[in-house]
Amino acid sequence: MLTIFLGEWQHFSRNRFKLLAACLFLLASLYGLYNGQDLYTTQMAESEKIKETIEESKAKTLAWFENGEKGPKDRPFVNIETPYWALSYTPVYEVKTPSPMMVYGVGQAEQYAYYKQITSQASPYDADMAEEIANPERLQLGALDFSFMILFLLPLLLLIFLYNIKGSEMDMGIIKLVYAQAGSPVKWLLSRTLFYVVLAVATLAVLMLAGAFMTPVLTEHVGDFFQLFLLFTAYILFWSFVFFLVLYIGRGSTVNALSMVSLWLLLAFVIPGAVHQWVSLQQPPGYMTELIDAKRDDLQEIYDQPQEVLTEQLFSLFPQLQQSPVAQDSAKISKVMRRSLRALGNNLMKSAVEQIEANNQMKNDRIAASYWFNPITFFQNQVNKVTQTHYQNYQDYRNDIQQKVDETIELLVLDTWSEIQVDKERYLEYNKKLSLH
Amino acid sequence: MKTIFLNEWQYYLKTRLFLLTSLVFMVVLAGVTGLGVYQNQLQYQQYQEAQQHVRNQWEQIDAMNPHSAAHYGSYAFKPTTALSSIDEGIYPITGQVLRLEGHVQNEVMYSEASQMQSVSKFGKLKSALILQYMIPLLLLFLAFSSVSGEKESGRLKLLLIQGGKPTQILMGKALGVWSYGLALLLAVILVQIVVNLNSLQSDGWLRILMLSLSYAAYYFVISALSVYFSARWQKPTAALSFMLALWILWSIFLPSIFNSSVEKMFPLPSRKEFQTAMKEDRAKGLDGHNPTGKRKDELEQKVLAEYKVGSVDELPINFDGILMQEDEEYGNQVWDKHFGKNNEILARQKSFLQIGGIINPFISLQNSSMGFAGSDYYHHQDFLQQAENYRRVLIKELNDKHAFGGSKTGEWSWEADNDFYKSIPDFAYQPASLGTKLDKYLLDLLLLGAWILFSLVLLNRASKKLKWI
Repeated sequence: MLTIFLGEWQHFSRNRFKLLAACLFLLASLYGLYNGQDLYTTQMAESEKIKETIEESKAKTLAWFENGEKGPKDRPFVNIETPYWALSYTPVYEVKTPSPMMVYGVGQAEQYAYYKQITSQASPYDADMAEEIANPERLQLGALDFSFMILFLLPLLLLIFLYNIKGSEMDMGIIKLVYAQAGSPVKWLLSRTLFYVVLAVATLAVLMLAGAFMTPVLTEHVGDFFQLFLLFTAYILFWSFVFFLVLYIGRGSTVNALSMVSLWLLLAFVIPGAVHQWVSLQQPPGYMTELIDAKRDDLQEIYDQPQEVLTEQLFSLFPQLQQSPVAQDSAKISKVMRRSLRALGNNLMKSAVEQIEANNQMKNDRIAASYWFNPITFFQNQVNKVTQTHYQNYQDYRNDIQQKVDETIELLVLDTWSEIQVDKERYLEYNKKLSLH
Repeated sequence: MKTIFLNEWQYYLKTRLFLLTSLVFMVVLAGVTGLGVYQNQLQYQQYQEAQQHVRNQWEQIDAMNPHSAAHYGSYAFKPTTALSSIDEGIYPITGQVLRLEGHVQNEVMYSEASQMQSVSKFGKLKSALILQYMIPLLLLFLAFSSVSGEKESGRLKLLLIQGGKPTQILMGKALGVWSYGLALLLAVILVQIVVNLNSLQSDGWLRILMLSLSYAAYYFVISALSVYFSARWQKPTAALSFMLALWILWSIFLPSIFNSSVEKMFPLPSRKEFQTAMKEDRAKGLDGHNPTGKRKDELEQKVLAEYKVGSVDELPINFDGILMQEDEEYGNQVWDKHFGKNNEILARQKSFLQIGGIINPFISLQNSSMGFAGSDYYHHQDFLQQAENYRRVLIKELNDKHAFGGSKTGEWSWEADNDFYKSIPDFAYQPASLGTKLDKYLLDLLLLGAWILFSLVLLNRASKKLKWI
């Protein structure tokens, strides 16, 4: 078995076509790693710039407190001693810090925004949550990242390596002679196939290690690194098994090549495409009218309600308001009501977002239900999860945004109703509570 | 050549496996096209409902200050095109909802891709997926042994002895394979026409014609090259290996490499850079809500002089509306500058990508397919432009009402009535006619034409070197 295995090396090293395919694959994989690293460093640089912006903005506002100023000179209506303006001038951002694992796959990272400035009126579905500016035609085609190379092109590389094993011997009519020499046909076929499996896994290891030098994967995400390596190895084994079966049953290199390509087309194009189409037919992409209603008409309805009703609604949201100084005086309530209504508006948005996300979850469930016959989509999403570029990672990020909006609104309402006069310490407290994770 | 061509078809029709495969393929293609059309109709229905919903809300504005209405805003929804059921292009990746409001040109949001986890790297199972990736593969499977197989069986020798000319033999073979591809293409086009017969206008017919021509051209290139390699190589497996490698390179590998590379050659700004630059430029103008500075004073003096009064309080009109419109006009210049720059970069990226068609006709096919289906970047840009033009007209109308509708400066509680809001026309997107965009795809068509010529030259060369053993 070892002799056959080693003999395959000689066959491989003498076959210019296979060598060329392997070199091309290596180069493209390095390019894929570079693309992943490029997106990671770009997003990291933006995150750093946001931190700088936060510090600059904070320093500017602190200077107003130190100099006894109420706000910018060209905006005389601003009074940073009120919770509303102090919070407006508290630079609050939520950033989805990219994972160094992105070097191995950008997943859905380019379909979502990864930083957002938070205000009391913000929502995870605001206009500034549009994805980064990019060429839409390139986005449609997807990024040439490392996961693309492994999930879509490595099976083709294996195909090129394997298609003529046994087939060429059959074409030449020497298969019986080979079997006679090898002893067991299965062992002979397995040994030759195994050589390319080992080669593919070794190539994967080398490339993944190269990626680990491009971003701090091994220092920060060593567990994820090995998880991804195992995932990709399982993927290689899956295709190797499928192709081994083709070779075992196959009756010639042409038939083998046709069968392998057909299987690849079925698993990479037809099944995922059909599932995608089916999901779209079941739930056509929405135009998010729920959000539009929440932002406009439903919000207007809140504004049109009598103060007593609104006060009750606020009390049910924040029971502690009932003991606040403002709550004891209806004249004071009417003064602070408009700014407090953001809390009710936020609740409306949350309900609308809940509907949209429940709808999205149904789509995700349908996709997940197809995994048993749709292995490439399964592996793709598992890889996205490890590289933290999966839909769920961005869902978690949107949840973080919502949480920060809730915290901002809570501070705004509670401090406003408690008639807190914001000073430097309180402002710093706001910054601390709402700081970037 | 005709005899060879007919012989090829006789062979196809005699082969049961081939007939069965073709039948399955035809049924799948027709089914996929039909489902594509159905999905398109569902999507269009959603679009109409959303558009109607937002319009109803607008028409139900009872009485509102015009500037409040500018903040209330409107929405433009991106519709699907009839032919996006064949090739939906960038539709799933770009947003579909554009908020139209005062003071800002928003970006289109809520793409289909962002509404779920990853499912298919190459898009939905639509006709384009089969036409672009699978049929070419089927054609090369048909053609790879068309000449080398004849060599092996000794039929080629017989054909040449009987007086068959090598050029005619090769052309006959290539045309035979090509015509099979055309038959499959025809199945898609026929279903598309039958289902959309009532809604097809002249532009739609022209688009279908151009789309069909692009695919037909690409199929000819694939058929001719497969026959060429089959003639050049002694063994069918060598021809198959080479054509398979070429298919992988052309369809999977190079498009991704080219697209990634042009994006790096002509980088777009990050969203933060883009927004910061616009904010800085915007700050140099007027802030309609908090007007201060030289620009405001100049405008005030100009209007006072026009109405021959000494202060804004004496004006018979509402100066706030004029200020708001001035703010908009300045903003529009800023948006045009910055969005314009991005569009220039994107157009440059697209042009360079098109040049990639010199070494990869698949890129030309993809570009022209999306373009003729009305689902590429240029058509998306057209939607954005029309929506932005509408926004500007809408906001100007609201600001003019604010300024000249009967209120005076500072009367922010003044409201325009429901009749006024009803009188403002809704946004109605007029899909771009192909005539206005055809020049964008000329290079793709030319390159596909050049590839046909190149394939013919290769076939001719192969015919001169054709050996019967």
